[in-house]
Amino acid sequence: MIKVDKKEIFRYLGYRKNLPDEEVMGLVDRCLADLQAAVTPRCIFRQYPIESVYAIDPAGRPKDQGAKEAARPLLRIAGMEIRSGSLSRNLRGCESVYLLGTTLGLGPDRLVARASVTHMSRAVILQAAAAAMIEAWTDSVNRQIMEQAAAQGLYCRPRFSPGYGDFPLEYQQDFARILQLQKEIGVTLTESLLMMPSKSVTAVIGLSREKEGCVLHGCEECTKAEDCAFSVSEDA
Amino acid sequence: MVKKNRKPLLERLGREWLFFDGGTGTILQEKGLQGGELPETWNLSRPEDIIDLHCGYLEAGCDIFNTNTFGANALKYPHDLREIIEAAVSLAKEARQRTGREDAYIALDIGPTGRLLKPLGDLSFERAVDLFAQVVRIGAAAGADLVLIETMSDSYESKAAVLAAKENCSLPVLITNVFDKNGRLLTGGTVDSVVAMLEGLGVDGLGVNCGMGPAQMIPIVKRLTETASVPILVNPNAGLPRTENGRTVYDVDPETFAGWMKQIAAMGVQAVGGCCGTTPAHIRRTVECVRGTGPAAQSGAGFADPLSVDAAAFPAGETPRPDQADSPLEAGVPFRPNTKKHRTVVSSWLQAVEIGKKPLIIGERINPTGKKKFKEALRKKDLNYILDEGLGQEQSGAHILDVNVGLPEIDEPQMMEEVVTGLQSITSLPLQIDTSDPEALERGMRLYNGKPMVNSVNGKQESIEAVFPLAAKYGGVVVGLTLDEDGIPQTADGRIEIAKKIYEAADRYGLPREDVVIDALAMTISSDTGGALVTLETLRRVRDELHGHTVLGVSNISFGLPARAIINAHFLTMAMQMGLSCAIMNPGNAEMMAAYRAFLALSDLDPQCMGFIEAYADAQPVMVTASGKDPAGEAGKAIETGKAGRPGKPDQTGSGAAASGAAGGRSPSLGESILRGMDQSAADAARARLETGIPALDLINNELIPALDTVGKGFEKGTIFLPQLLMSAEAARAAFEVVKETLQDKKQETKGRIILATVKGDIHDIGKNIVKVMLENYGYEILDLGRDVAPETIVETTRREDIRLVGLSALMTTTVVSMEETIRQLRAARPETRIVVGGAVMTQEYADAIGADCYAPDAMATVHYAETVFQ
Repeated sequence: MIKVDKKEIFRYLGYRKNLPDEEVMGLVDRCLADLQAAVTPRCIFRQYPIESVYAIDPAGRPKDQGAKEAARPLLRIAGMEIRSGSLSRNLRGCESVYLLGTTLGLGPDRLVARASVTHMSRAVILQAAAAAMIEAWTDSVNRQIMEQAAAQGLYCRPRFSPGYGDFPLEYQQDFARILQLQKEIGVTLTESLLMMPSKSVTAVIGLSREKEGCVLHGCEECTKAEDCAFSVSEDA
Repeated sequence: MVKKNRKPLLERLGREWLFFDGGTGTILQEKGLQGGELPETWNLSRPEDIIDLHCGYLEAGCDIFNTNTFGANALKYPHDLREIIEAAVSLAKEARQRTGREDAYIALDIGPTGRLLKPLGDLSFERAVDLFAQVVRIGAAAGADLVLIETMSDSYESKAAVLAAKENCSLPVLITNVFDKNGRLLTGGTVDSVVAMLEGLGVDGLGVNCGMGPAQMIPIVKRLTETASVPILVNPNAGLPRTENGRTVYDVDPETFAGWMKQIAAMGVQAVGGCCGTTPAHIRRTVECVRGTGPAAQSGAGFADPLSVDAAAFPAGETPRPDQADSPLEAGVPFRPNTKKHRTVVSSWLQAVEIGKKPLIIGERINPTGKKKFKEALRKKDLNYILDEGLGQEQSGAHILDVNVGLPEIDEPQMMEEVVTGLQSITSLPLQIDTSDPEALERGMRLYNGKPMVNSVNGKQESIEAVFPLAAKYGGVVVGLTLDEDGIPQTADGRIEIAKKIYEAADRYGLPREDVVIDALAMTISSDTGGALVTLETLRRVRDELHGHTVLGVSNISFGLPARAIINAHFLTMAMQMGLSCAIMNPGNAEMMAAYRAFLALSDLDPQCMGFIEAYADAQPVMVTASGKDPAGEAGKAIETGKAGRPGKPDQTGSGAAASGAAGGRSPSLGESILRGMDQSAADAARARLETGIPALDLINNELIPALDTVGKGFEKGTIFLPQLLMSAEAARAAFEVVKETLQDKKQETKGRIILATVKGDIHDIGKNIVKVMLENYGYEILDLGRDVAPETIVETTRREDIRLVGLSALMTTTVVSMEETIRQLRAARPETRIVVGGAVMTQEYADAIGADCYAPDAMATVHYAETVFQ
């Protein structure tokens, strides 16, 4: 059973600081119960060294606007060559990473498809509750990783997924291959690089000898953060 | 050891021990394959290493070895697929020659595509078949001896691969799937459901590989031996994986592995080998231990390796241990061929349903016969209406759903495909494909993710020739109607003769007799009062003399009579007593369901009467007046107040409960029901208002619409949120439905027709569906083209249907590109059509940049824009 913070569900539903009425509350509870019975949570994570990092600016920022290459240093992880300024900022000071894949399985997708035939209200709530649930599941896997890292004297950075900042979505294909996502946890990619089951997460988690304020997830790297109805900080 | 004569594989498989090879990835990684490097490229770049891999396994004594083609398909190798597969087969031949193992069989190895099939994924079933077919054609032409499909975790993809193999070569086809420790595929199927489907498709052997070590596989193997009739294949990993420096390692050593495989072999499987982490040493020891040519194993070495045993997979106290060395290994394991199980099973993507254990209900409601609204839904391609019929019947207790979408003016094969694939994405009930059009039958059977029921064949030669070849190819349990060229026999003798004829035809076409279910034909007693007795006698004789299973369209018995439900319910009881296996009926009929549940309880088929109690614990006493004037429907109403009926709609959102809570003295008004999003009470309130004589249009304009507007304004102000908006919309819809019934004779006008689609490449359609609900509420007719829709389809439909407004949705930055392309094509073909766009990544700037007429940030904004377009 995955423990889900209902406030997260309300946030995904766009309630901001408000609480839903009694009918919606009841529906959220029923949807959560149905989801708990339908999910098949799975995960896979493996540790890899960061093989080389070129030209990292100490501040992690471009020295001048023209030096784009310098702002987007090359990272080599598990055979991937990644040019991403935001990822290299995230991984500043890290010597290795975990690559992570998590999923709730196809159960939530089937429930949403089913509800879409009869009650869209239910479909919308299932969707939000499943979104909160995959975050909760990924958080719990992330905590396991933090423990494993701690045993090696390492500290975790916030997890960072393809598609965040300038870390291109195309790397989903590399994740799929390196972690054998289809075989190991049943996660496939569509032609347009969406993951199916849709409630799935892939991420890099940096590991460093130095402790930094580690949060499990946040809005800091999202470009939408300023005017987003779902912003964590605004509701917290 | 030079063995030259290679017997045909099927002369050996299932008759003597055969051994598969072990892991490929494990060996290639040792030879330097990088994580993430595509192993099949080595067929071209490092051929000697591949030959060496095969030689290792051939020298270890395996009989069947895999070409290095697991991931070879045109998605991964768009340019050099042929070279890679041809090289793979040729390297396998070379290895066979070098080792003098000419008796060994080269298996063309086929793994999953890595993509998920439609409708949940974006790979179409036929495209998957094509991808596999390419591999099969190249591999068979190059000289493979068999096709081995392996590591499949989705039954639908398994079906595509098996069909591709059977349609494109004449080689034996073997398949192994990956099950987890709960005995399920990643997509949900069970051993039972997978076995039913694959045996129906005619595979030559099936089993399990990968995912687990031998110890954890034992419960799966046990179930396979209980369900499968064809040879069983077991290829485990060398234990459960562990990660070391980013590499996966497996800990079960050859000795321990062989000990487990000996135990597995003794369970009644016919061929064993290994998968990830196993090496030639594992296979050599396994061959020695199972075939019994080797020395005794070293005493106890490594047997208690805790990593190889997942205690959670077994009930407490039953954790198995590998055979200890005190049993003399050189004796080997006596070979036992598999036995025929003779079970009658249909299956879906999730579950198997066995016919003959207790009577089953086949829901008959997905059928246009005599249903005006259903016909209308078929003509308008309103898939939701049809799917809703399916969900409703599931809710009411159906075990199998009959699917009949035949209507003269529609493309039945196409509709069959859409309804079958639609249903199997939302319900796990097995389907019964019901059509007299052989093309529609084949489409339905082919696209079905499981082993379907087929309705129907009969004793006519023409029917036998049309239906049995399809059943033999795709698998299915066929309903055999006891009628032929001479019509319907008036006697049980005559019907039994036809039943025998149908069984014999099944023999000729190679369909097992247990895959035929005889329809004894219920004919109305209003024209022949002896009709029921003939039917009942036929049922009894099929059970007692032919040892077969039976099916009936039960309610035909009362055609032309009043109070049909009374006759139907009693006839159902009598038929079940005579052995009826499947009743085709409306599971929403309370009287028949009561008869069914009572029969189960009385026949000791309902453990502790739990099914009956659950259904009727809250029921009011049934009051049937003695006068006989009480219409059957009324008599049954009391029963319906129990949980057994179908109160309200499926997936009831709880508005029912809320309604009764709010009742406390008075029922909520129509407006209140809509504002609070209570659909059942909204429908009740609308009905009550109409009964007071208020004109329908007044009700709509003065009560329904204002309530809806209040909610819409609240949503825009941010005081009402999306779930409430939708619940109110649903409540309003429920009220509309009631009002519409009273307007049935008058022509109903829509404000306008709008196309909605999620663009190509995007498979998330929740946003589009929200917009659809809201637009429908405001009186627009929606042509919902679904998700992942090609620009051409949108343009074509817009032109054909003369559409003035198109709404497009895209979730990802990557799919906004297809939105732009769709707009470009629409503009060129239909400059007068307006385009509104929305979706998670969409912004006003984006919308402007790609040339949309309007950006709608939410559903209400789309409604407002539609109002300006259709002013």
